[in-house]
Amino acid sequence: MALGPDHSFSRRDNVLFLVCVVLSVVMLSRPDWGHDLTGYVRVSVMRPFLWMQERAEQSRTSRSTFERLRAERDSAANAAQFLSSLRAENQRLRNLLRLGDRLPTRYIPAEVLHQSVPTDGRTMILSAGSRAGVRAFDPVVGAEGLLGVVLEVDAQRSLAMTWLHPDFRASAFTTPGDVFGVIAPALQVTGSEQLLQLRGVAIRDSVPTGTMVVTSGLGGVYPQGIPVGTVIGPGSEETGWERIYIVRPAANPENAAQVLILAAPRDSSVAKAFAGDSAP
Amino acid sequence: MIAIRGDRWRLWTVLGLLAVLQFAVRPRLGHPAVAPDFLLLALMLYAIRSRPGAAAVAGFLIGLAGDAVSPARVGAGALAHTVVGYLAAWGRAVFFPDNLFVNGLVIAIGVWVRNAIQILASGPGVGGLTMPLLVWSPLQAITTAVTAALVLVTFQRWLDIRLET
Repeated sequence: MALGPDHSFSRRDNVLFLVCVVLSVVMLSRPDWGHDLTGYVRVSVMRPFLWMQERAEQSRTSRSTFERLRAERDSAANAAQFLSSLRAENQRLRNLLRLGDRLPTRYIPAEVLHQSVPTDGRTMILSAGSRAGVRAFDPVVGAEGLLGVVLEVDAQRSLAMTWLHPDFRASAFTTPGDVFGVIAPALQVTGSEQLLQLRGVAIRDSVPTGTMVVTSGLGGVYPQGIPVGTVIGPGSEETGWERIYIVRPAANPENAAQVLILAAPRDSSVAKAFAGDSAP
Repeated sequence: MIAIRGDRWRLWTVLGLLAVLQFAVRPRLGHPAVAPDFLLLALMLYAIRSRPGAAAVAGFLIGLAGDAVSPARVGAGALAHTVVGYLAAWGRAVFFPDNLFVNGLVIAIGVWVRNAIQILASGPGVGGLTMPLLVWSPLQAITTAVTAALVLVTFQRWLDIRLET
């Protein structure tokens, strides 16, 4: 529809614009309709593009590189000691490998297919789907701790909601202390640090700064013992019937390149697997 | 002025190339919040040679595709890209000279406006608005504008653009 530079704007243009805006607003106000539509787009139109992105991600941090790093990690560490970014990536991969070895439950490794939009990180497309054994509500973890939960699964890919998403919730407790609460994102308009809240803590309980928060295993989604973060102080208590604590997260979804998707059983504890990371 | 002729297939080839770059090359270009957005660049290149209505529809479709692969709040991407596509097509007739710097500036503004609308439409986030709007979005706007300049210079003839020297 190429036109000359002096074209005038017609009513048709404005109508098309308004139709698109109205459709967008409808999807915003009715998320169920939008999710149905985008789910269809993801497995049809976007499929070849996601396949391309998956190949690109795998060529960057492929499983063969993953395996090679396992065999050559000592020499790689030596070679990478002067390259901080490569060393950090190497360390993340090693931690993930060590975590995989220690996990008592079955897990599925996957690459994260990051997108260009500013809300990337609230959800993640993962390069493993139902063919690899992924199911909805499987927990997603990194070497440092909890990242999120699988929401939708297709044959080759899955969609995970991370703790950055406003709707994210997980049952958690402190260790030591065994104070129970619900982990939720600390939504804010100002500020720049990405933090969590431990909500619903009973008024009679208090949690000192520096206390570790892990998943409790209640609710049947997350196994017990996945690190969530560390308490950095009390939050505002608007209602007065609960205590709220601010938690610095253990793992950041925006930086995750490889993740582990934990498969069943969900009622087991994985605390010992993560405890090894903090051991000297 | 930007000369626009018939050779539509050349434009579509460039747009297709940008779509491939978005998914095949962009993952290798560092932090996803900073790497250039080839799809938005393709939308802007299409919008500045189209009617506002067609640009709005193209923006809606690209935004919908973005919502499909990053559905933090479905509809936010479609809304943001629709508005940016429409405004880019509308603005071109008002202030779009054939200057490489101005082209890059308009594309950078397009990236920032898209990000701002998408973040606001998605609701408050965990990290607040400061870092996404004042740090990451400007950085992505700059990388996308530089990429746009490279594309415009490289494909000047294919895109039928006469840039001022």
